[in-house]
Parts: sequence; structure tokens; C-alpha cells
Amino acid sequence: MIALEGVAARQSPMSLSNLSLGWGPGLHAIVGGLADGGPLLLALVAGWARPRAGTLRVLDGDPRHHDVRRQIAWVSLQAALPQGLRVAEVLATAARLRGEASPPAEERLAVLGVESLARRRVETLSAGEERAVALAEAVTSTKVRVLLIEEPFAVLDARAIGRLPSVLRERADAGHAVVVATGSPRDAADIADDAVTLVRGAVGPTGGGDPSSRGLTQGARLRIVTPDPHALSAALARETSVEAIARRETLVTARGRDAVELARGAARAIAESGADVVEVRLQPAPPDDGRAVAGPEERPL
Amino acid sequence: MNAALARAPWARVSRGTRSRIAVIAWCLAALAFAAAARARHFPHAADRVLLDACGPLVLPLLSYALAGAVVGGRSFSSAVAPLKAFGASPARAAVAALAVAIACCASLGALLGAAADVISQGTAVHSLALRDGAASAYACALGGAAYAAWFVLGATFGRRGGGRLAFLLADWVLGANVTAAALVTPRGHLRNILGGAPPMELSERGSAIALVAIALLCSAIATWRVRR
Repeated sequence: MIALEGVAARQSPMSLSNLSLGWGPGLHAIVGGLADGGPLLLALVAGWARPRAGTLRVLDGDPRHHDVRRQIAWVSLQAALPQGLRVAEVLATAARLRGEASPPAEERLAVLGVESLARRRVETLSAGEERAVALAEAVTSTKVRVLLIEEPFAVLDARAIGRLPSVLRERADAGHAVVVATGSPRDAADIADDAVTLVRGAVGPTGGGDPSSRGLTQGARLRIVTPDPHALSAALARETSVEAIARRETLVTARGRDAVELARGAARAIAESGADVVEVRLQPAPPDDGRAVAGPEERPL
Repeated sequence: MNAALARAPWARVSRGTRSRIAVIAWCLAALAFAAAARARHFPHAADRVLLDACGPLVLPLLSYALAGAVVGGRSFSSAVAPLKAFGASPARAAVAALAVAIACCASLGALLGAAADVISQGTAVHSLALRDGAASAYACALGGAAYAAWFVLGATFGRRGGGRLAFLLADWVLGANVTAAALVTPRGHLRNILGGAPPMELSERGSAIALVAIALLCSAIATWRVRR
């Protein structure tokens, strides 16, 4: 269903070089951080980026072609829905554009347990809710045959997190290609049949196979802008997934070894502290993160 | 398919609080100018209202607000991207958004031009007022359409569509005089067909054609930039 032959691409800060891969029906994982090129690989397969070299075929066609693209769903970390519409209208519009019948929105959203969002305006959704709606659209579409998801468990409504693995498994068993890009080898092992480790844009030494064998310890950094950094820092300090915290005015930076665990810990800390959050950004930590993240106020835990 | 593509931009215009406030505020401002000109019995009151208030101030700012609503206050590419994610052709999504912007600006411009003309003239000569009102509606519709495409093209520049503001300033600066620079802006041509000073001695008919050309050219470039 997806075939890459000698593909090279670049989109700062990511690049891919001489990548040859093939994915059929099933649940596949790409393990690696942002800089390793996982999101860029998904963007290429989704037809949103153009390879500099090599050939890329998706569903026996060019993924940038309209007829192929409507069969591909790409849910990135910054999934964006069309503003101005209600969630039910978004799903109806998506169904129309993909060329499929549109069942009731509540029915589609219930697959991920977020049916209560149907009447909400897109502008009023949190990032996690918006992503849950985008995922619900993707997994319930009858036209979509290739499903690409970046960090499936990060920035996602809590109600959807528990249901997502079984829903993805159903799609894979139904003959669709589901590809997830994640920085967490544990998540890859939990949900995927096989995994490819990307290291700086190339297939890593461990190659494909059982994802649980990956020894990746990528590390991640979470930057949170909040008007109440003291309360949030205190709550973050109680999370075991947070290894260090830095605070500068309204910016709180937390470092952890596992991006997904860090995101979950931060979500708990935000809920516990009751702090309003203006912006949350998850980034891969540089290799020498111990010093790189450290600001004058960093406090290792 | 096209209706589905136009649904989101239309919803942003029709449901957005900021776009509603902008439309109401600028329409009221234009009507207030017209009413004031009539109350003070200015000679050629309609011409003065259209040339001094509607053409150079109200219509550009109204179009600026409506074009901003169509793109959701972001870049044009960002506004189109969610539809592209559902499999829509980016070019067709861009054309649909442009069509919404042009239709809104042209129709509101026409209504505003006609209303300002009729109100400022009073009801003394009905047939003359209606004929002038129709002519003003035609001129403001053309101007609104050109401005809509002009500002949507502006929104293709900058990560958050900040080019829209640059295009507004460029229109103000370049279009204010009658030199060759005014030929590339909607402002100079709109002033000409409303009866003001023509850019480079261009005829009114020439300016009307130029406004259509600006609308088409800006739409084509904006679509090309989104598609790219």
C-alpha cells in the first residue's frame, strides 16, 4: 500500500536520506524523535511534502493526487480543523470532500468517546479535543485506507486515549495501513505489529521487527506558558516522568526521558494545579539535554 | 463539493463576532457620513461621501475585515489546510474561499455604495437618485471585489497572514496619487470610477476593467501560492 524507494527529503529541522520502505495492511510504527524525520516521513506519505529524490507510491498512485489523498488521513500533532464550523459540520464537510456518506456525528465521535463535542464550535475546542475529533474522523471514514498518526497518545483528549489502540487495531485488521510515528518505543511496542527506527533521517541499526526491542531513549522537553508558573512547577515536581524543571517568568520547561510519559505527567500536573495554560509545546530534547535545557533556574529532581 | 469547500469560510464570515462588529461599524460609519452630508446640505453631497469616505476609507477597511474573517485571521494557506487534510484540492479550496470573500465584499460594497448615495442625495429627485445609486453600487461592487482578492493575496504572505496589513498600507500609499504606482492598486481605480482623479489619465471604463483585472490576477496568484 505504501512503497518508498531511495526517498530523500528535507524540511528543516528534519531530513530523510535514501529511505526504502514498504508497508502493507497492518499497524506499523516509526520510532524516533522529531529531528529523526518521523513526522516528515508521514508528511511525505500524506502528500503534504515532496521528495527531493526517489519514488514514493501510496495506494498505487502519487499521494499528492486528489483521488489518492482523499483516501489518506494524516493526524499530525498540530491537527487543525476548519475554524468557524461546529464539530458535526466538520465531519459532514469531511465526508462530503472524501466522497462518502455521513452518518450522525455523535455516532462517529462515540468511537473515541467524545460524542459530547458534536455541537461545539471548533474554536472552543482544546488542542486535545481537536485532535480527538480529527482522529475520530480518520478512523470512522469509509474512504480512508491509509491512516498516518503522529504521536498517537500525545495532545489527545483523555477519553480518547484509552480507546485508541483497539480502534487502530480494528482498522488494521480491516485491511488498512495504519502508520504511527512516535518517540516512545514502549508505545510502539504496545500498539504496532512492526517498527522502523529512524536515526537522523535514515533507518537505524536495529531496522524493522519487534518494536519492543528498541533501546531508544530520546528524551523530550515540554514548554508550557502559563500565568501561574509557581503552582504548575510545584505540581510538575511531583511527577516521576519529569526529570528537571526550569522556570522563567511565565514559561515553564520540563524535561523527561519519555515524551509520552512526560506529556501525560504534564497533563496531570496541569489538572492538579488548576493553572491556566496559554501554550504547550513538546520538543525533542537535544542529545546533551542535561545542560541544554538547564537555565539559571533549572532544578534537577 | 464546491458548497462543502465554501462552507467553512462562509461560516467564519457569518458567525464570527469580529467580522460582524466590523461590518456593522463600517456600514454605520458610511451611513453616518451620508446622513451628515445631507443634513448640512453639501453641494454634490453624494460625490463627497463616496470620494472622501466610502471609497478611500470604509470600503477598504470593510473588505480588509471580511477578507480577514474568510482566512480566519491566519495565513491563507493555513485557512485552506484543514480542507486539504480531508482530501480537497488546495486550488479548489482556495478558489472557494476567494469566491466567498469576493462575493461578500462586492455585495456589501454595492449595498453600502447605493445606500450612501441615496441617503446623501435625499429624496428630491427619485429617478436621478436611483440611477446614481445604481452607478455607485456598481462602482463599489467592483471595488469590493478587487479589494477582497487584494487582501486575500496579502494573506498568503507571512506565517500568520501579516501581508494583509502590508497590502492595506501599500494600497493607501501607492493609490493615494495619480502616478503609475496607483495603477496597480484598487484605490486609484476605485477613485476614478467614483468620479475622482484618474491614475495616469485612465478612463473610467479603463479603471473598471483594471479593477476586474486586479481581482482576477490577485485571485490567480493567491491560488497559485496556496497550491505551491
